[in-house]
Amino acid sequence: MIMDYEAVIGLEIHVQLNCRTKMFCRCSTRVGDEPNRNTCPICLWLPGYLPRFSRESLERAVLACLSLHCEIRKESAFDQKVYYYPDLPKGYQLSQFHQPLALNGWLDIPCGDGAAKRIRIRKIHMEEDVAKLVHENEGRTPVSLVDFNRAGVPLVEIVTEPDIRSPREAMEFLRALRIQLRYSESAECSMEQGTMRVDANVSLRPRGSSALNTKVEIKNMNSIRSVGDAVAYEIQRQETCLAAGEPIVLHTRLWDPDNGATLPMREKFEGPCVPDPSVPRIVIEDAWLEDLKARLPEMPAGKTDRFVKQYQLSREEASFLASERELSDYFEATAALGASPRTCVQWISGQLLPLLKEGNIALTDCPAAPDRLAGLLGLLDREEINANAAKEVLRRMMTDPSPPERIVEECGFRQVSAEGELEALVDRVLAENPSAVENYRKGATKAMGFLMGRAMQASGGKANPRLLKEILARKSA
Amino acid sequence: MHSDVSNPGNSAHGTAARNASPAGKRVGVPSNLSVKGLPTEAGSLALRGFTALEDATVVRRLKECGAQPVSWALSRELGLGLCPEDLSRVLGNGQVDFSLMTDTLGEARVAAAVNGVFGFKPSYGMVSRFGLVGVVPSMDCCGFLGKNLDDISAAFRAVRGKDDRDPSMPDPEACAAADPPESLDSPVSVGTIVQCMNGLDSAERTALEKALSRLESLGATVREVEFQGFDLARLVHNVVGSVEASSSCGKFDGVRYGHRASGAKNWNEMYLRSRAESFGTLVKAYLFQGAYFQFQDYPAFENACRIRSGLVRESRRLWEQADLVVLPTRRPGAAPSNPADVGELYDPFSLTLWSNVTGLPSLSLPRLVLHGDSDLGLQLVGPLFGDERLLRVAGQWFQTMEGVR
Repeated sequence: MIMDYEAVIGLEIHVQLNCRTKMFCRCSTRVGDEPNRNTCPICLWLPGYLPRFSRESLERAVLACLSLHCEIRKESAFDQKVYYYPDLPKGYQLSQFHQPLALNGWLDIPCGDGAAKRIRIRKIHMEEDVAKLVHENEGRTPVSLVDFNRAGVPLVEIVTEPDIRSPREAMEFLRALRIQLRYSESAECSMEQGTMRVDANVSLRPRGSSALNTKVEIKNMNSIRSVGDAVAYEIQRQETCLAAGEPIVLHTRLWDPDNGATLPMREKFEGPCVPDPSVPRIVIEDAWLEDLKARLPEMPAGKTDRFVKQYQLSREEASFLASERELSDYFEATAALGASPRTCVQWISGQLLPLLKEGNIALTDCPAAPDRLAGLLGLLDREEINANAAKEVLRRMMTDPSPPERIVEECGFRQVSAEGELEALVDRVLAENPSAVENYRKGATKAMGFLMGRAMQASGGKANPRLLKEILARKSA
Repeated sequence: MHSDVSNPGNSAHGTAARNASPAGKRVGVPSNLSVKGLPTEAGSLALRGFTALEDATVVRRLKECGAQPVSWALSRELGLGLCPEDLSRVLGNGQVDFSLMTDTLGEARVAAAVNGVFGFKPSYGMVSRFGLVGVVPSMDCCGFLGKNLDDISAAFRAVRGKDDRDPSMPDPEACAAADPPESLDSPVSVGTIVQCMNGLDSAERTALEKALSRLESLGATVREVEFQGFDLARLVHNVVGSVEASSSCGKFDGVRYGHRASGAKNWNEMYLRSRAESFGTLVKAYLFQGAYFQFQDYPAFENACRIRSGLVRESRRLWEQADLVVLPTRRPGAAPSNPADVGELYDPFSLTLWSNVTGLPSLSLPRLVLHGDSDLGLQLVGPLFGDERLLRVAGQWFQTMEGVR
């Protein structure tokens, strides 16, 4: 008999916080500097030096927790997570084990049927990153080099409840998490750049059961997609094991992206956590917390609802705009200048973003600022230019800083709406294409499209399409 | 930046002794306290070749007052345990006027008693630990020893108070509030701890009672006070101290400084061998014990932490019964010059450990508790951050006694 299994998945996500300095010293967190440039006696843990907890890292961590709907604990504390490895030369990592910063959060992810599913977050705690090891050869001697630039960089670890049931849900959760954290400006969350690292715990149980079976931890995924792939592989691997009657044993596996498989890894020695005596307990005052809550922007879910109501957008359009803070700000700024919201969405998603992508330009650096796009859409709305011309003007706006009106005049894009001019043009086109006129009169509607195309071409693309069609229909009837 | 003016711990209250300054004094600095540019090897191969990049805050503040540091090499590894011979060498032959000494188990006070001088361990958190190569961060404290109480008091006043480099220090306002200036006017009530007295033999008790009569003749009232769990301090210190030591010494890996074993095949073997060759037997035993509690018997460590909190609570109740508490600084008998195990390491400190566990300030006074030829020291312990009052009471007593003599 073949059992029907259900996957039970929990994620542990390490996120690098957006901080200028490290967690326990004032060294820069800049990426890409010469090895060991951003170090000091504290993050090198020289004898006699004491950690100095950074308020900036607490602020960012609390913003992250708030954006994930967590309860911030009034008191939390750092522990020493003991393990001996060259990336951690003081022998322990400062992390919050016994008293984490926040508990009981959640995040909704979209389900297939348009509804939302709530994934619970068990806890979020702060910890410092460790150094980076580089293994090289000096001649024929293998050497291990340690780069301390990353040592002490502020992180939070986000631990979910085992509420995720499929690789798709795992990926949806990570996307939603990234949106929330980026919104709150607490983190960038790029798996490719290593500012978000995800471990997944996967176990199986017969569908309908509520048991939590032995789990396998998988690591080393470097993109959201590879988390999905690794989880999918692991589910299948465990199903095969169970079908063959092999027990699942608790262990850790590494995702090998080249072979699309997970492989067992050697266990790292995990030590105990003892309270750290040198970092003071963290006590969060109500007033400070309220201040941070007030700094939290309107989050994507609420913004989506508001966009639907305020701008009469479809839910898809609204949630697309709300997915990034800069994007929604850009949209609202453009709409506030009088552009029709619907036209705005269509032009931003259909024209502007592809142009930016093509030029590898960030939206925040977009040369077509909201006032310029609103100006362009105004010209379109008043039928001073047609859509084709507007697309061309937008393209030119990427390199030409002058106002859209000037570009329209300089390049002769102004739409021809003078009836006399258009009638003369239509007469000429009808005379040149008698057979098409004949067909149209016999009821071939396709012929109308042909005639429109000819007429528009004759106008150099500048004819007002609405008027042109009217005249054409009248004259050929 | 630190300045005396902005340091609340330094507000002068006005007596003559309080205006004494460490200017021009030669201060002994043991090799587990950083002095910029000098080797800070803490008596351990594990720190061989480590030169301090900056002064410890205590050293810097003493220098700023015009004191002159004279560094001396510790012979006890990582400053753990007793090395009175070091001290008598530097104090006895007049090399220094007074000396700094870390006090983790009671080293500064017991060494002072053995040498018949004053020894002082401030409240935990009163003096910055920046630059102190510590072993037990929740109990390590920079202490002071000297023939002259005024020197110690002046040095303490010069170094105490908030330091950005040691964020574990408490709010300075809390320290100031615990030390009201007017408290000296009323007669001082001194408590003897019943649970401590019960553990002394009759000769020790007689010696202590003589000292108590001296204090009564100086106007102090003496009463018995209760301190449940007094005897548990050693156990708590032993467990918590060794666990913290095990963590703290993780950084001594022979990579960036210190002795590095040669010929190892890989990094792991290099670590293991460097550490094996660096640490002495006693430190190894202590670290092993700590690692045992961390990895094999964590609940014992948790229990010790709970008992410690209980002792801290219990010690607060002492001050409902008396202003200060007195007891001998040490038990009679020579401390083993080379402790064979952790038990022997702790033996000389059975009466001092509790103030490291609770963080209380403690001052050892010479020439008051005499047991045959040897000075056991009179330990005076006060409430947390009540350091100033402790020093002033003792100062007045000695002023009167020496005036009479």
